[in-house]
Amino acid sequence: MSEMANTDPEGIDAVRMTWNVWPRTKVEASKCVIPLAATIAPIRPHPDIPTLPYAPLRCRTCSAALNAFARVDFTAKIWICPFCYQRNHFPPHYAMISETNLPCELYPQYTTVQYTLYPDPNNPAGAPQLPPVFVFVLDTCMIEEELGFVKSAMKQVIGLLPENALVGFVSFGTQAHVHELGFSDMSKVYVFRGSKEISKEQVLEQLGLGAAGRRPTPGHPKGLQNGYTNTGVNRFLLPASDCEFTLNSLLDELQTDQWSVKAGQRALRCTGVALSVAAGLLGACLPGTGARIVALVGGPCTEGPGTIVSKDLSEPVRSHKDLDKDAAPYFKKAVKFYDSLAKQLVSQGHVLDLFASALDQVGVAEMKVAVERTGGLVVLAESFGHSVFKVSFKRMFEDGEQSLGLCFNGTLEINCSKDIKIQGVIGPCTSLEKKGPNVADTVIGEGNTTSWKMCGLDKSTCLTVLFDLSSTGSNAPGVANPQLYLQFLTSYQDREGKTMLRVTTVTRQWVDSAVSPEELIQGFDQETAAVVMARVTALKMEMEEGFDATRWLDRNLIRLCSKFGDYRKDDPSSFTLNPCFSLFPQFMFNLRRSQFVQVFNNSPDETAYFRMLLNRENITNAAVMIQPSLISYSFNSLPQPALLDVASISANRILLLDSYFSIVIFHGMTIAQWRNMGYQNQPEHQAFAQLLQAPQTDAQIIILERFPVSRLVVCDQHGSQARFLLAKLNPSATYNNANEMAAGSDVIFTDDVSLQIFFEHLQKLAVQS
Amino acid sequence: MAAPVPPGAPRSGANARQQPPPPNFNPNYQTNPNSLADNMQNLNLNRPFTMPNSGPRPPPFGQQPPFPQSSVSAGFPVASRSGQPPGMVGRPAVVPSGPPQSTLPANVLPGRPVGSPVSHMPPFGSGLPSASLPSSTGGAVLPSVAFPSSGVPTVSVAPPPAGSLPGSFLSSSPFTGGPAVPMSNALAGPLSNGTPAVGSGALPGPPQFPSAASVSQPPVGPPPSMMSARPPAQASAMHSVLGSSAVSSPITPPLPSASPFSAAPQSRPPPPGSPYGPQAWPMQPQQGFQPPHIPGTAHAQPSRMFGMPQQLPNQAATTISPAMGQPGAPLSGSSKIDPSQIPRPAPSATPIVYETRHGNSANPPPPATSDYIVRDAGNCSPRYVRCTLNQIPCTADLLTTSGMQLSLLVQPMALPHPSEDPIQVVDFGESGPVRCSRCKGYINPFMKFIDQGRKFICNLCGFTDDTPRDYHCNLGPDGRRRDADERPELCKGTVEFVASKEYMVRDPMPSVYFFLIDVSMNAVQTGATAAACSAISQVIADLPEGPRTLVGIATFDSTVHFYNLKRALQQPLMLIIPDIQDVYTPLETDVIVQLSECRQHLELLLENIPTMFQTSTTAESCFGAAIKAAFLAMKCTGGKLLVFQSVLPSVGTGALSSREAEGRTNISASEKEAHKLLQPADKILKTMAIEFAEYQVCVDVFLTTQSYVDIASISVIPRTTGGQVYYYYPFSAVSDPAKLYNDLRWNITRPQGFEAVMRVRCSQGIQVHDYSGNFCRRIPTDIDLPGIDCDKCILVTLKHDDKLQDGSECAFQCALLYTTVYGQRRIRVTNLSLPCTNMLSNLFRSADLDAQFANFLKQAAIEIPTAPLMQVRDQVTNLCINILLSYRKFCATVSSSGQLILPEALKLLPLYTLALIKSTGLRNDGRIDDRSFWFNYVSSLSTPLAVPLVYPRMFAIHNLNSKEGDGSILPSTIPLSSEHVSDDGIYLLENGEDVLIYFGSSVDLNIVQQLFGFTSVDEVPTQFVMQQFDNPLSKKLNDVVNVIRQQRCSYLRSKLCKKGDPSGMLFLSCMVEDKNAGGASYVEFLVHIHRQIQMKMS
Repeated sequence: MSEMANTDPEGIDAVRMTWNVWPRTKVEASKCVIPLAATIAPIRPHPDIPTLPYAPLRCRTCSAALNAFARVDFTAKIWICPFCYQRNHFPPHYAMISETNLPCELYPQYTTVQYTLYPDPNNPAGAPQLPPVFVFVLDTCMIEEELGFVKSAMKQVIGLLPENALVGFVSFGTQAHVHELGFSDMSKVYVFRGSKEISKEQVLEQLGLGAAGRRPTPGHPKGLQNGYTNTGVNRFLLPASDCEFTLNSLLDELQTDQWSVKAGQRALRCTGVALSVAAGLLGACLPGTGARIVALVGGPCTEGPGTIVSKDLSEPVRSHKDLDKDAAPYFKKAVKFYDSLAKQLVSQGHVLDLFASALDQVGVAEMKVAVERTGGLVVLAESFGHSVFKVSFKRMFEDGEQSLGLCFNGTLEINCSKDIKIQGVIGPCTSLEKKGPNVADTVIGEGNTTSWKMCGLDKSTCLTVLFDLSSTGSNAPGVANPQLYLQFLTSYQDREGKTMLRVTTVTRQWVDSAVSPEELIQGFDQETAAVVMARVTALKMEMEEGFDATRWLDRNLIRLCSKFGDYRKDDPSSFTLNPCFSLFPQFMFNLRRSQFVQVFNNSPDETAYFRMLLNRENITNAAVMIQPSLISYSFNSLPQPALLDVASISANRILLLDSYFSIVIFHGMTIAQWRNMGYQNQPEHQAFAQLLQAPQTDAQIIILERFPVSRLVVCDQHGSQARFLLAKLNPSATYNNANEMAAGSDVIFTDDVSLQIFFEHLQKLAVQS
Repeated sequence: MAAPVPPGAPRSGANARQQPPPPNFNPNYQTNPNSLADNMQNLNLNRPFTMPNSGPRPPPFGQQPPFPQSSVSAGFPVASRSGQPPGMVGRPAVVPSGPPQSTLPANVLPGRPVGSPVSHMPPFGSGLPSASLPSSTGGAVLPSVAFPSSGVPTVSVAPPPAGSLPGSFLSSSPFTGGPAVPMSNALAGPLSNGTPAVGSGALPGPPQFPSAASVSQPPVGPPPSMMSARPPAQASAMHSVLGSSAVSSPITPPLPSASPFSAAPQSRPPPPGSPYGPQAWPMQPQQGFQPPHIPGTAHAQPSRMFGMPQQLPNQAATTISPAMGQPGAPLSGSSKIDPSQIPRPAPSATPIVYETRHGNSANPPPPATSDYIVRDAGNCSPRYVRCTLNQIPCTADLLTTSGMQLSLLVQPMALPHPSEDPIQVVDFGESGPVRCSRCKGYINPFMKFIDQGRKFICNLCGFTDDTPRDYHCNLGPDGRRRDADERPELCKGTVEFVASKEYMVRDPMPSVYFFLIDVSMNAVQTGATAAACSAISQVIADLPEGPRTLVGIATFDSTVHFYNLKRALQQPLMLIIPDIQDVYTPLETDVIVQLSECRQHLELLLENIPTMFQTSTTAESCFGAAIKAAFLAMKCTGGKLLVFQSVLPSVGTGALSSREAEGRTNISASEKEAHKLLQPADKILKTMAIEFAEYQVCVDVFLTTQSYVDIASISVIPRTTGGQVYYYYPFSAVSDPAKLYNDLRWNITRPQGFEAVMRVRCSQGIQVHDYSGNFCRRIPTDIDLPGIDCDKCILVTLKHDDKLQDGSECAFQCALLYTTVYGQRRIRVTNLSLPCTNMLSNLFRSADLDAQFANFLKQAAIEIPTAPLMQVRDQVTNLCINILLSYRKFCATVSSSGQLILPEALKLLPLYTLALIKSTGLRNDGRIDDRSFWFNYVSSLSTPLAVPLVYPRMFAIHNLNSKEGDGSILPSTIPLSSEHVSDDGIYLLENGEDVLIYFGSSVDLNIVQQLFGFTSVDEVPTQFVMQQFDNPLSKKLNDVVNVIRQQRCSYLRSKLCKKGDPSGMLFLSCMVEDKNAGGASYVEFLVHIHRQIQMKMS
C-alpha cells in the first residue's frame, strides 16, 4: 500500500475504492463493515488523458458513453453497452472503425477520455463563449486596518483576473451596496436594507433587471451578448479590463461601514442579504454562465436573514455545546436561509466562495451548506492580513502551474452495472434528483439520484460515492459477468468557457467473498477506507442527533477486525491482521482523536471548515488530515518518516509535522539552542544551516500545493507553540508513565489513551466471541 | 422707519446673515430684509432664471436705489426734466427696469411706500383726466363712492431716448459721478463698483435686463431743483453717501414707483405724480438714512387715520335700487339697472396709517387689500389676525340672526409693512413669560393689574393671579402699571417671547433643507428636472449660512437615489434605494450634511443630474416612497422637504392611479360622485403626512407637470405638514423655470419658522370651534405646524359658549411657539381685543368684507371635496343671501321692497360671491387637478389675496402710453366684464397666481410689436417669457408686471390669450360679471338675490 501511495494511486482514472473487489451480495457487502465506496476526482488532470474533439456515443437505453469496455462488433458496426448490454449501431461517421482503426475511446488504456463539446451549434469554431463572472462581496464592518488588508488583496486579485472575466462588486455592512460599475457619471450604488429578506425576483426587479427579457428565447438558447441576454447586467458586471480602474478607485474610497455601532454591541452586518443580493444579481445572467460569488467576510452576520448571533456582545457566538443543547437560537433559521440560498445558486449554476477572516466565528457552520453544495472554496483565517488568507486568495485567481483549475457548471453522472445502487455522494455537489434504477433506497449525503451538480469544481475536487448492492440481486455466483462497471461522466466549463465532458469508465471484479475472502482482502484500500469512514462519520455527526462517533467507529473497527483478523477466539495475543488491514486501526485511532470527531476543542465554524475540506480533498490529503505525517530531520540521516508518537521528539532533531491545516516545524531543544546562538550563520556550521533550512523548504513545497494554504507554525521544544505538534502525537508518554521514558524525550499531558493501549483493547474485543 | 431696527438695516450685505442674530433679534425682521432684498431679484421681470447668483444677495444699498430721489425729483417738478429728450414715454421712475427691489412682495418690500408722499398731495386735487382712464373705468365708479381718483396729469418725464442711454445719463447727472458706472453695469453685466449697493443682485438678471437698465437710465440727474424739493439734508446725504450708489439708480427706480401702489391691490386711479418721491425714501432707510418721516406723522397729516374712513359711511347702506322693482317684475328689468351704478371694488387712495386702538377701543382695520401702515397700540396688526366682525355679538342668537359668521383669519407670521415697527422680543429669562395660571394665557396689554399691581386679572379666563415678585410694578393714577409703556408685552398687541427650556422638548432644530427631484423620463424630457436643479442650485446661495444649515438631496424615478455629499472624494456618491414598497435611509449620517461642507459637491451634482438621467427610460415615479425615504433621512431633525414632482406617482408606497381617466370612462359615476375625485385616493399618504408632522418635517411640492398628477391625493402631504403645493401646468421649459426659481427662492427666504405649535385662546363666552388651514392636529386645542411662513393663513372659526357683556371687550390671543431659522425658540403672541355689542346694526357696520369673504372662500374650499358642486354653490349663494336678508329685515331703515339694500361694509359681497361661484374650484368644467389645486391653494391663502383670486384685476395695456403722469405705474382697473374688453385692446389680468394677457382681434400691430415683438396676432404663442424691448411701452408693461409681482409676493405665471382661441376662452371665463356657462351676469345675480330676499321676506 505504501509504495502505491507514493506513485499515483489514483492513476488515469482518479478513482479509488474502499474495496477493489466487490462482494456479490448485499449481505456479503454488509459483512465487510467498510462500505463499498469510490472516490473520484472528476477533473483531475493527467497527462495520459486524451482529449477528443467530438461528442461521445451514448447508449440508447442507459445513455452510458461508449468506452473501452464495450464489446464491439466491427463487422456489424455494433457496440454492446457494458452496463445494460444494449446493442448500439455506430453512426455513419464511425463507418471507418475496425480492429486496427479504433477511435480513441476504445483503446483499452484510455479508460478515461475527455471530449470537447460545443454547446452552440452556431458557434462551431469554439470561440470563447462564456466568460467567467466574479462577484466580490466585501464586508466593511471591520477595523480600518483589516479593511486595508482586504482592499489591497482585492486590488491585487483584480489585476489577475482574465481580461474578459466579468466583475461585479457588492459591499455590505448594515446594508448591502451593489455597485453599478457601468455608471460613468459618478459612483453609484444600490442600497439594500440588511434587515429584510429579499427574493431573487425582488433583487432583479429592484436592480432594474426585471423579468422581461431575462429568459432566452427558445430558438436561441444562448444570447449573443456574452452569455447573458439581459443588457441590464452590463451595468453591474463589467469585463475586468474595463472596470479595473473603476474598481480600484472605488476600493480606494471605500470606507468602513458608517452606521454607528452602539457600545456593547456587535456591528450590524447583513451577510445574508448581501449574499442573496449577489446571488440575485447573478440570477440575471443566463443560467449556465460560470459565475462565482467571492465573499470576504470579517465577522458574524447579525442583521437580517442568515443572522447567527444577536447584536448584543454579551451573548457569545454559539458553541458546539450550544448546538448540542439546542441553545443556539439563530442556528437553524440561518441554516435554512443558507440552504435556500444554496438551492438558488445551484439552480443558477453559480458558486459561493467564502473567505472568512476573523478571530471570532463568522458563521461558516451555517454557510457551509451554501458553500459545499455549490462547490465553493472556503478559507478560514484569523485576519485578512494573515498569509493563509492572502496567499490563498491570490492563488485562487492565479493562472499557470499553480492554478487551481477552477471550472464551472459541472455535472456528474454515474452509470453502473445492474444491481449496483448508489446511495449518495459526499462532497461538494448537489443532488439533481434524477431517479433511476441504480438509485438506492437508503440515502447517504447527496442521494436519490444518479446525477449531481457541481457548480464549481477544480482539479483537486474529490467526491465520495457510496454504493450499495441490490438485495434482490441476480448476482448469484456464477452468473454472467464477472466484472462490474462504473462510469463517471463529468461535463463542465473550463476556465476558457469551453464545455468539456470527461468520461471515466472503471471495472472491478465481483467476487464471492464467502468463497474467496482472500481476494476480497487483497482488494482492500486502507487509506481510502479510513477517509471514507471519516467522511461518513462526519456526515453522521451532522445528520444524526445524538450520534456517538467514537463508539460507532470503535464498533466498526472491532467488527472489521473480528471478520478479517486471524485469531483464536478469546485469545487477544493470538490476534494478527493481514497487512492489507494493518494500517487501518491506526487510522481509526487517529481519527478518533482528530478534530473531525473531537469537536469540542474547536468552534463550530472550524469544525465545519475542517469537514468541508475533508470532504473535498483527495484521499492522500484527507489521510494526512486524519493522520498527519511526521518527518524527522537530523544530522545523521536523510529526512525520514518518523512515528507519529511523542517518542519521536528528540532534542537534536527537527520534526516536520504535516497535518494539512497546519504544518509544524519543531526544533528539538538542542537544535533550538544552537539556532539561537546563531551557529547556522557561521561558515563552519553550514551543515547546521542546511539542516535548519531543509524542513523549511519542504514545508514551502507542501504549502504551495495546498489550497487553502496551510498555516505554518515554527516552534521549539517546550515552546508554547509546540502544542500544535503535541496534540497530534500518540501520547505514548504522559505524566502517568513519564518515569518510564528515556531522558530527552517529551511527555504529553493528557489522559488520552495511547495507541498501544488502544490496540490492546482492540485485540481483546476483536477476539471476543 | 422710526422702528428701532429698520427692517433693512440689520443686514448689511450678505455677511449680515452669517452672523448669529443678536439675542434680541427678531427673526422675521431679520429675514425680511434679506429676503426682501433677495427676492427683489426674483421678481424681476425677465430675470434669467439660470443666472448663477454670483452676486447673490442684493447689497443693502441695492435695495434703495439712490435713484429714487432723482426719480422723485423727476416725477415732481417737471422742470427738472429738461435734460430729457421729449417724446419718451417712460416716467423716470418707471424706467429703470426692475431692480431687485421692485420685486419685493408688496408687504415686505422696503419699497413699500413709507410716508406716502401721496398723502401730501391732495388726493382729489387732480382729477384724472378722463382721457387717461379707460372710459369703462369711469363708469364703474359708484357715484356714491368718493374716489380719490387723482390723476395727476401725467407729468411726463420725458424718458430718455432709447439710444441716448449712457450718454444721456452721464450728462444728466451732474452730481453723481457714478452714473456712468451704472451704465456699465447694465450693459456689461458686472458691476464696476464694489459696493453691493449697486444692487448687483438686481443686475444679475442681465441678459434681458441690461437692456432695460440701460434704457432706463432716464430721468436721472436730479436737477438741483429737485433736490430742493426734498429736505436738503437728505439730498446731500444721498449724493455723498451714495456716490457710487447713484449708479444703481437706473436699475432701481422702478421699485420705488412700484411700491407706493403696492398697497392697493385694486388699482385706484393713480395718485398724483408725487409718488415717486416718497417711494424713493423708503429705500433709503436701508442705506442708513432715516426715512424722512413716517408717513403717519408729518406728511401724512392730511391722511385720515384709518379709523375714520372717508368713504365708509358709518352704517350707511348703499342702496342699489335695481329698477327691477317688484319680484314679479320682468327680468328684463335688469336693463334698467345701470351697470355702472352697481358696486364694484374701489381702490383705496393712499397708504393709510392705521392705529390699532384709538381712544382705548379697537379701531376697525382698513381693507386687507389696501395699503396701510400699522401702529400697534395694543391690538395686533390686522395682518396677523383679522376678525370677520370687528364687534363681537354678545350672544350666539344675535350672530345667527345676522347670518354672518364669526371667525378669525390668523396669519401669525404675516409680512409687516416695512415702515412698521418690528415686533419686539421680550426675554423673561429662565422663568419664561408671565402667564395666567389657569388658562395659561400669556401676559398681554389687556390683563388688568389690581391691588397695587400685586395681582392681575386674566382677560381671557377672568382668573386673578398673583404677579410674580420680580415682575411687580406699581400702578399709576390711571390704573395702568407705571411701566406699561416700557414693556412691550403690556402695550403691544404683538410681541415675541424668548422661549425658556420649558418650551423645548429638544434643542431647537437646525434648518434642514432636503430637495427631492423627480428624474423620471417625463420629468427629464420636459425640462422639469433641469429647471428644478437650476433653481435649487441658485437658491443654495440664499440659504442661511452657518453650521446650522443642513442640506440633502435625492432624486427618484422608479427608485430613490440619495447622494452622499460628504466625501473627501471628487464626486458625490449616489445611493439607490430600490425597494420602493418599504423604503429606508441608505446612510445613518452624511445624507444630510452641513451646507458649508458640501457646497461644491452639491453644485456639481445639480449640474450633472439632468444629463445623468438624460437617457433614462424609466417612466415610473415613486413619489410616495421617495418622500418617505427622505423623511426617514430627516427624521431625527425635521426640516423642510422640497419635492419636485412631474408625473403621476405610479409605483411604490402610496402609488396613485389615473383616477381622472377612470372617472371619464365611467361617466355616470363620475357625474354623481365627481367630488370624490377631489378626495385623496387612500389613507396611505395621509398616514405618512401625520407621521411627517410628528417629526417636524414640512413638505412643499412643486408640481411641474404636463398631465394629471392627482393633486387631491398628493396635496394631503403638504397640507398636513404646513407646506404648500406649487402647480405648473402645463409645464413649459420655456416659460416656467423662472417662476419655479422665484417660487423656490421665496419659499426658502421668506420669513418662516419651524416645529411650531399654535393655539388661539378666547375670552370666556367664546371658544374656538375649529381650525382650518395647512397643519396637523393631534390634540383638539393645538395645531402643529412643522413649518409656518409669512404666507400661510389659518382660519379659526369661533362659537359662543356663553353670553358676553355688552360694552365689555372680548379678547383673542394667538400664541405661536416656533423655532426661527437661526435656531431660537420663540413664542409669538398676538392679541386682539374687540368690543362686544348687542346691536345687530353694529355687527353689519363692523363687518370686515375681506375677512368675511376669505371665510366664505375657505369654507367653500372645505366643502368642495365632500359635496356635489351644485350644493356648494348653493350654500355660498345662500350665505350671501342670508346676510343680506338679515340686514334688509332688521337694519335697513328706509326700504321700498323694490330696492336691494346692501350694508355698506358688505356691498361687494354679492359681486365676490358671484365671482366665487364662477371660480375654478366651483366650476364644473375644470380639470380635476385644477380644482384640487384651487381648493388647496385656498386653504392657506392669506386674506389680502382672497378677493383677487376670484375677482382678478384687469388692466388695459395697449394704451399704457396714454396715461402719462398720473403717477401710478399701474393703470386703472377695468371691471371684469367683456363689454369693457374691446377688440382693439390688449388686456392684462392677474389674480395673484397667474397673469393672462389677452389680445383682441384687431389690435394695433404696432403695439403688439412694441410690447411683445410679434408682428401679428397669429404669431402669439401660449407660452412665452416676458421680455423687455427697447421701447417705452414695453418698459412700462414690464414695470406694471413687476409692481404686481411685488404686491403679490409672487412671480406670476404669464399666459398669452387671443380671441377665438381656447386661450381666449380661458380669458373670457375670467370675466365674472358676464353671463356665461358658469352662471349669471352680475346684474342678473343681483336680481336673483334680490328676488330671493323678497321671497324670504314675504
